[in-house]
Amino acid sequence: MVDPTRLDRLVRGVARQVRRRRLEFYGLKGAFYGAVAAVVPLLAKGLVGPAAAAVAVALVALGAAAGALWGLALATPRADVARVADRALGLEDRVATAFEWAARPDRTPLVDLLVADAIAHVERLASSQAVRRVLPGEARLLPLPLLVVLVLAVAPAVRLPVNRLPDFSAHSDVEGSPDRTGKLEESEQTLAKPDPIKVGPLSERDLERASASLVSAGDRPALFKDTALGGQRPDFNSFLKKGDERLKLLEQIDALPDLRSDFTQSDYKMMLEQTKALTAEGLRPDQVPPQKLRELLEEMEQKGRKEAPQAAQNASQGLRALDRGDQAKALDAMNRSLNTLRRAEEERKGALNLSGGKQGETGRRSSDSGDSKEPGNPEQEDPGGSKGLEPGKGPSDHPQGEATPRLAATPRDSSLEGDPRSGKKDSIETNTYGRAARVPSRLPVGSAFEQYQRMMEEAIAREQVPRDYQPQVKDYFRALSEK
Amino acid sequence: MAQDARVQEFVKSFQSLHSEVQKVIVGHDDVILSVLIGLFAGGHVLLEGAPGLGKTLLVRTLAEGLELSFSRIQFTPDLMPADIVGTNIIVEDTNGRKRFEFQQGPIFGHILLADEINRATPKTQSALLEGMQEGSVTVGGATRPLPAPFFVLATQNPIEMEGTYPLPEAQLDRFIFKARVRYPAIEELNAIIERTTRPREVEVRRVLSGPVVLRLRELVREVPIVSHVRDLVSLIVMTTHPGFEHAPEITKRFVRYGSSPRGAQAMVLGAKVLALSQGRYNVSAEDIRAMAAPALRHRIILNFEGEAEGVDSDTIVARAVESSERLAVREKEVFLR
Repeated sequence: MVDPTRLDRLVRGVARQVRRRRLEFYGLKGAFYGAVAAVVPLLAKGLVGPAAAAVAVALVALGAAAGALWGLALATPRADVARVADRALGLEDRVATAFEWAARPDRTPLVDLLVADAIAHVERLASSQAVRRVLPGEARLLPLPLLVVLVLAVAPAVRLPVNRLPDFSAHSDVEGSPDRTGKLEESEQTLAKPDPIKVGPLSERDLERASASLVSAGDRPALFKDTALGGQRPDFNSFLKKGDERLKLLEQIDALPDLRSDFTQSDYKMMLEQTKALTAEGLRPDQVPPQKLRELLEEMEQKGRKEAPQAAQNASQGLRALDRGDQAKALDAMNRSLNTLRRAEEERKGALNLSGGKQGETGRRSSDSGDSKEPGNPEQEDPGGSKGLEPGKGPSDHPQGEATPRLAATPRDSSLEGDPRSGKKDSIETNTYGRAARVPSRLPVGSAFEQYQRMMEEAIAREQVPRDYQPQVKDYFRALSEK
Repeated sequence: MAQDARVQEFVKSFQSLHSEVQKVIVGHDDVILSVLIGLFAGGHVLLEGAPGLGKTLLVRTLAEGLELSFSRIQFTPDLMPADIVGTNIIVEDTNGRKRFEFQQGPIFGHILLADEINRATPKTQSALLEGMQEGSVTVGGATRPLPAPFFVLATQNPIEMEGTYPLPEAQLDRFIFKARVRYPAIEELNAIIERTTRPREVEVRRVLSGPVVLRLRELVREVPIVSHVRDLVSLIVMTTHPGFEHAPEITKRFVRYGSSPRGAQAMVLGAKVLALSQGRYNVSAEDIRAMAAPALRHRIILNFEGEAEGVDSDTIVARAVESSERLAVREKEVFLR
């Protein structure tokens, strides 16, 4: 068996060459990155001091050393080294094959010949470099950071920007605007005093406290316009200069309706309230206190003389019926007088454009009720002549206005099937059939009618019923009462 | 016999036979080399070239240099398989009894020249399949071994020529190498004229016998191959496949099927013969590179686009070798490549 020591020596020699090339390669790489890092302490020479140059040199050396160590630490497999040697020295894979097959158990008889042949070829080789030098790309760029390091080391320290915001407070003191002069003087005086409280920029809590000290929300614009606060908060000044639509709205108070005044407070309303109190709790006409009914009728007559003669006339009829002891007719007269007063009230509101809805529409309503019509003026045309009018929605194409949407209901829900029982008119009960028979009514018809009539009157008084429908509603209830 | 002597015998035999063939054949060194390598590797060789380029002469000369029986089959469209492998015929013995007797076909020879093999139908071409792969022939239910060494040298005209049938892929794969016989250069043509237009004086000596060839074939298989060279062979074969991830673009575009594993075997065996013929005891990467084209060119099947573009399979093999060498060292460090 041939001793492959010579091949071992060859492989070890090539491995040394590989390590040497690696040392150069990775050392140069490390030196480049070390030089780049060395720029930093030299830029901060003002902070680091004279040690900056030493730190920079150390970084370059450290990078080179780290790279070289890395190169040396890389593994060098013998098979790869043998292959490199074969290729570099023109050995046609003899060394690699010999190394691999010399250790294999299935080696053929030709392997011994191969090892001997490889040794013979190696011995004929003159000592030569099997591994070529390869320089990293960083090696070409290395002079650049080194030059920068050199220049920075020689040059004076670079002034770096201070990591602090400029002090605007002192600046604003010098360049304070004339309208802040008083405040500035006060601040100077305050500073001159031995005040233990440190004067600093306003915090959010200070701002809230200042705003809370002001009287009310109506003074909020005054808070924004406060020059002292504006002076301490420069963004407030810009805010005010720029203008804010909300502030402008707050200044246009006169353009908004005076919500504090209660337009619903009227004589008609007062009388309506008294009427409701008088007929409350489902009292029958004979149970109404006649004295109170008389006082109310007299008041209506007095009021009607001023504004609605028809109301006064109705109230007089009621008083006469009361004198006759017919309280039912007196109550009916009172209701008619109340309706007349309500109409007069509505006309008055229409004349003042205070009947609610859009302004243009209210104007039309007033022209509708008034006599001054100007032909050709669309705003004064009669909307009721050809078009309907919906409260708060303007004119409608329908002469009677848009129909109120009906509630979803089935015929069984809205109708009642049955026969009237015998008995008093105000307590008629019905023999009901169908679904309603399971829940028989226990409420007297008269009481129910009066309750619904009052609710109708209240709805009309609150203008919940469209004006064009009001006569129909009233006629309906009137027809029911006549039964 | 000492190992060194065996190797020396191989080198001497190889060179002797090479010299004998070169006495007759002018030029075509790569073709002669492929044929000799195929002979010692134990495979069969396909020679492709236009008529009149010396293919048949080369094979006949080789047969003359070997002490082996030689058969020649001229393939024609009406040739039948029985004309190749033989058939059972009725013979009458001395007693007047008739019996079937197998009449051997021309395939029963050491060296078979299948001339213009692609002029026969695929059915007839396939008659060679069993003999080339198994070294035996089955006729009438009886399997008969072929003499060893059995070496088929087939010639074919370029497929584009009229009246030719392309060889089936399975049969192509049975040929270890495919050598392309090209037109000779002017100097070679002059030499051909000189040699062939005068009374023949060249005498080809028989330098090798059948048993020697078989013994040298065994020696070839003992040649070691290092793992990184073996890996290179695998990579080369894989990069001829269009589905391989790292296959070159030309392969992905023009190849329908890449080489079979027989291609890798052919490369390694051929490289071993080549190494031994040069007196080396190991296979080098350079041997593999030299054997890649003859071992793979007929195993790469082009797709329609490749056929239409006239892509040469040798170009695809060359690109595959380049890609494989890059892939083999891709993961290596710069100093270990």
